[in-house]
Amino acid sequence: MTGSPLPQAGVAAPASPAPRRLPVGSLIYAALSACAVFVAVSTPLNGYLLNILMQAATYAIAVIGLTVVLGLCGQINLAQAAFFGIGAYAVGLGTVDLGVNFWICLAAGLAAALVMGAFLGASTLRLGGHYLAMVTISFQQILTLVLVNWIPVTHGPDGVPRIQRPALFTDGQVYLGLCLAVLAVVAWVVWHMPRTRLGRAMRAVRDNELAAGVTGIDVYRTKVTAFAIGALLAGLGGGLFAGGFTYVSPDQFAFAESIVFLTMALLGGVGSPAGAVIGTGLLILIPEWLRFLKEIPGLYLAIYGLAVILIVVFMPEGIWGFLGDQVKRLRPRRPAPPRAGDLVLTQSAASAGPVLEVEALSKHFGGLKAVDEVSFTVTRGGIHALIGPNGSGKTTTLNVLSGLYKPTAGRVRLDGRDITHLPPHARAAAGLGRTFQNIRLFRSMSALENVVIGAERPGNEFAGADRATLQARARAALAFVGLEARAEEPVSAFSYGHQRLIEIARALAGNPSLLLLDEPAAGLNTSEKGALTGLLRRVAAKGVTILIIDHDMTLVSDVANHITVLNFGRRIADGVTATVLREPAVIEAYLGQDSAEPGAGRRDPGLRTDLHPA
Amino acid sequence: MDLVLQLLFTGIGIGAVYALVALGFVLIFRATNVVNFAQGEFSMVAAFLMVVFAVDLEWPYWLSFLIAIGGMALLGALFNLGVYYPLRHRTYLPVIISTIGASIFLANSTLALYGPQPQVLSPVFETQGFLVGPVFLDSQYLLIIAVTAVLVAFQYWFFEHTLIGKKLQATSQDKEMAALLGIPVAGMIMLTFVYSAVLGGIAGILVAPVLFVSIQMGATIALKAFAATIIGGFGDVTGAIIGGLALGIIETFGAAYVSVPYKDAFAFIVLVAFLVLRPQGLFGERIAEKA
Amino acid sequence: MRTTRRVFLGGAASAVIGGMAGPGVIRSACAQGAASTVRIGMVLPVTGPGADAGRFALNGAKLALEQVNKAGGVLGKPLEIVTEDDLTTNPGAVLAFSKLASQSDLVGFLGSIRSTQNHAMAPDILKTGKPVCFGGTDPVLTQMGNPWLFRFRPNDSYSARVIADFGVTTLAKKKWAIIHSTDAFGTSGAKALTEALGKAGATIALDQGYTNQSQDFTPVVLAIRQSGADVIGSYFTFENDLGIFARQLRQLGVTVPWVGSPSIVNVTALKLAGPSLFGTYGVADYAEESSDAARNFGKAYRAATKIAPDNQSSWTFDAVTVLALAINKAGKTDPQAIREALLAVRGHEGAEGTYNFDKNGDGLHGYNVVKNDKGNIVFDKRIDFYQG
Repeated sequence: MTGSPLPQAGVAAPASPAPRRLPVGSLIYAALSACAVFVAVSTPLNGYLLNILMQAATYAIAVIGLTVVLGLCGQINLAQAAFFGIGAYAVGLGTVDLGVNFWICLAAGLAAALVMGAFLGASTLRLGGHYLAMVTISFQQILTLVLVNWIPVTHGPDGVPRIQRPALFTDGQVYLGLCLAVLAVVAWVVWHMPRTRLGRAMRAVRDNELAAGVTGIDVYRTKVTAFAIGALLAGLGGGLFAGGFTYVSPDQFAFAESIVFLTMALLGGVGSPAGAVIGTGLLILIPEWLRFLKEIPGLYLAIYGLAVILIVVFMPEGIWGFLGDQVKRLRPRRPAPPRAGDLVLTQSAASAGPVLEVEALSKHFGGLKAVDEVSFTVTRGGIHALIGPNGSGKTTTLNVLSGLYKPTAGRVRLDGRDITHLPPHARAAAGLGRTFQNIRLFRSMSALENVVIGAERPGNEFAGADRATLQARARAALAFVGLEARAEEPVSAFSYGHQRLIEIARALAGNPSLLLLDEPAAGLNTSEKGALTGLLRRVAAKGVTILIIDHDMTLVSDVANHITVLNFGRRIADGVTATVLREPAVIEAYLGQDSAEPGAGRRDPGLRTDLHPA
Repeated sequence: MDLVLQLLFTGIGIGAVYALVALGFVLIFRATNVVNFAQGEFSMVAAFLMVVFAVDLEWPYWLSFLIAIGGMALLGALFNLGVYYPLRHRTYLPVIISTIGASIFLANSTLALYGPQPQVLSPVFETQGFLVGPVFLDSQYLLIIAVTAVLVAFQYWFFEHTLIGKKLQATSQDKEMAALLGIPVAGMIMLTFVYSAVLGGIAGILVAPVLFVSIQMGATIALKAFAATIIGGFGDVTGAIIGGLALGIIETFGAAYVSVPYKDAFAFIVLVAFLVLRPQGLFGERIAEKA
Repeated sequence: MRTTRRVFLGGAASAVIGGMAGPGVIRSACAQGAASTVRIGMVLPVTGPGADAGRFALNGAKLALEQVNKAGGVLGKPLEIVTEDDLTTNPGAVLAFSKLASQSDLVGFLGSIRSTQNHAMAPDILKTGKPVCFGGTDPVLTQMGNPWLFRFRPNDSYSARVIADFGVTTLAKKKWAIIHSTDAFGTSGAKALTEALGKAGATIALDQGYTNQSQDFTPVVLAIRQSGADVIGSYFTFENDLGIFARQLRQLGVTVPWVGSPSIVNVTALKLAGPSLFGTYGVADYAEESSDAARNFGKAYRAATKIAPDNQSSWTFDAVTVLALAINKAGKTDPQAIREALLAVRGHEGAEGTYNFDKNGDGLHGYNVVKNDKGNIVFDKRIDFYQG
């Protein structure tokens, strides 16, 4: 391109690095954005360049919406053009037919997009994946048909011409400046979003919904929020777009455009608003650059299609993801943070009653009674073990306790409060922490971030605290399990045993009144098991009650002071460790199972990994 | 009454087309867990191959058909190698985008090679159809319905009663397990793509005499077939067939008794209703918790 | 993987740089040529559903270009046409036009045959302030007070009046079924036809819209059958819809006369629908037998392209011819002067008919009625509403 402002406008928006302490980055960013706006307003642009830049700026805002919903929260949205259209039509119809002020129309469009997004999300986000894709496609199609056919209101396929721009911004370039300024603000907000509580919750949901739930994140609400924010930004982009082109018609907001938005987001890198801006810029420019191939119809779009495939194959994280990797490699390591303090685990010593009461709890899968009227009580302090042979219903019990399964019958009380019908995140808020047999960490985050999410569980005293407090808490928890020195490393860099420790640290940082551990010794070597034994004793010494499931009888008999034994979903023994381990029924269940009950171990292999009943 | 019968016949005919394309969706989805957005383009390419050989070169219909089907098998294989295989270890999103890229590429390279003119492919039968009482039965729609029925029967036999069919099933259910059992998973997925491309191709060739051969023909059908797949349930072949037929009938009757311009909306309204009220589809399995 | 990625990225980088440099090269090449030719811009669909129409439009324009240049060009220089693809979408049209408009040496433009695209481009056209000749037939386009729009086809108020006049007077049919697409073209046409039929004293038994790219018209045909209409008037946008409708109409035994908008007699429709359209009437802005000018254009067009001429090529032929004429008459490339010269055109015999521009910028005021006689388009009569 011949005009200079284009590259500047494209690069200026995302270029600032994340500020940690002083907002130096943000100040530089603000200065660069102001420069870009100034250049856009003052440099004479021809109509073509102005149109391209206007399109790029407004599209980029909508694509950043996809960064939130898809990049941060991992939910697909193939109706971004529909929300874009809602914003655009609100401005178009409002200013032209109703003669309402531009800003009021824009606000109405934002509200409409937000409400539609929240509604669509609320009605379908329990499904996820391809189903969400289909619902959004349907919404997109229906909206297009309404725009085309509801002629008295929408003007039908003619579209809405002569849309008013707001006073002060009637000049094309001044208006472009406005669009760039809005884009800069939106990009700045979304850039910082991953490190806010909401952003962390979204990333946690994206990485691992189950783990997010049990660490206290309301998965469903987080998803709906992300979806609504995505729709809101699309509406904002659309409203500005309508003012920019002063003409809107239904085919500008059709399904094909949603695909274009999605491709822009993935091409540039869905994880960051910088990627959104890059992707938008490129996908608007590439077809324009390739116009010189127009002699053969279709050729340039064919090349464009091919380019999309190549980029997806060779740049999996998008262009920004690729560039980001290079930058990270060059960036110097951060200086070591101050030494972590001691991990404080405060228990409400006042209530002397049992921590957990389980009454006649049952969980049936079809005709299979995985858990059958099991009752037991976990008293405050100390370590309670739930044991039993394979398929005895231990993990199912744990999943019912943490709310991942709904019980068929029975009652569960935590600290005297009935939690039988609460969803996982509400149980976490009530003071229940847990770990998983097959480790469930948030893969894209550092060890520290994982534990920060644990620390800010609702109900914890740190929930809503500032970043420094949360990080200090998380460091303390990591120090407690001996991993403080590696806090900044991504979790994928840790060994299996250490990942398990991070999971425990994540639960401990939330200061739970009861900690559920699902086979914590599985897959650990002897020395790691020894360390684990010590760790569990130290946790118990801090006053946290532990309910542990494990096969490893050495570990269990070493640490547990109370044992409940399950077999075939029923409780067969309960009592003080030494006594229970001597009971004949227990010995038979463990040692004599082959002779006593042929094929018992094979009865239902599915139960071993309870979370995958299919 | 004759009105209802006429609409029913048309609905089933259109529905059979959706079902045929939906079948291709389901097969690829079961094998790879991704939705192939270029499925409609398979139909379009096959129809153009027929135009090249049967109309332009005036080769015999059956020979052109065999060439077109062979071409589709090759395209399916190339599609797998170029669009799916490099991304097989990634999540479903990049694969979706990659298939979207492929769809743009196929549509526009056909345009570049063949030009924008819509083409006519004459029907297999000379006669346009029969009047049975007051109801006109279009011979091409009869053929479409028959071929769909035969293909469904074949598919059932193939998956349930042949070793290779069972290996394909095993692959679609659990790739790791299948690999441990010595099933060549990559080969099975290749076979799935080849077969899906052929299915899409047959659908395209069958509808060409009814809807004409144009660059856009694939996209329109694919979107509806998509909806049919959801209504039927993504995991299920029978579901795709019933979903396709149901969609065809709903659309036709909706257009006749409610509104013609909103015809395309019925498909999607029904779809949303299904997703909200019965997300597992008509016949599909429960959505398992996946994390 | 490492090396392939590096190779790919290298390639991508050079492609990007090449892309940046590309348009610049083209532009400088253009700048050099600017002095030696008079250039006009043309927005046309090269890709998308309208690509077909775009090809015909370009054929017509090129034919006119040859004739103009053979006759000495414009202002003593050869005329040149610069094209941009509008992707058959509205945003595409806006970008294509603004790209052309940014080249300051272009003295006039050819717009789109699709009304909705002209609507989309209208704000930019007003800003650019140079004459744009277009082919869209929505009457509103020339009534919005945009002084730079010049229509080279008769607008839909005329086509509707001709359809109504022919059906009611010549065919003596009073009970009408109106079938139209729900896009800008179809709805405005149907509205005008409803008005014209009301004035002619006919009744409307059915007014049925459909969305473009429908795959099935059975419900529409059955509705026609049930309405008891004895004549059909239609506004179809895309030929494949027309083809499917025509075939199903015949299959389901509807044989009443059918008078359609111009698309019913264009080349693609005839090819797609074949015998299903035999015996139908169409209003055609272009009919080969309607005048000597039309015959001459037809002959030249066939000689150049080996295909039959139709309105998609004839209007661009006329537009380029008349635009060149107006520039020569104005004696300069000043937009206002060209505009006045265009408005002053009277009695120009074009392929589409006789051009008499009114103050709104409408050049034509009548239509030909033609009949599809076993696949041959036969001229029936011309109905013209121009009054001095």
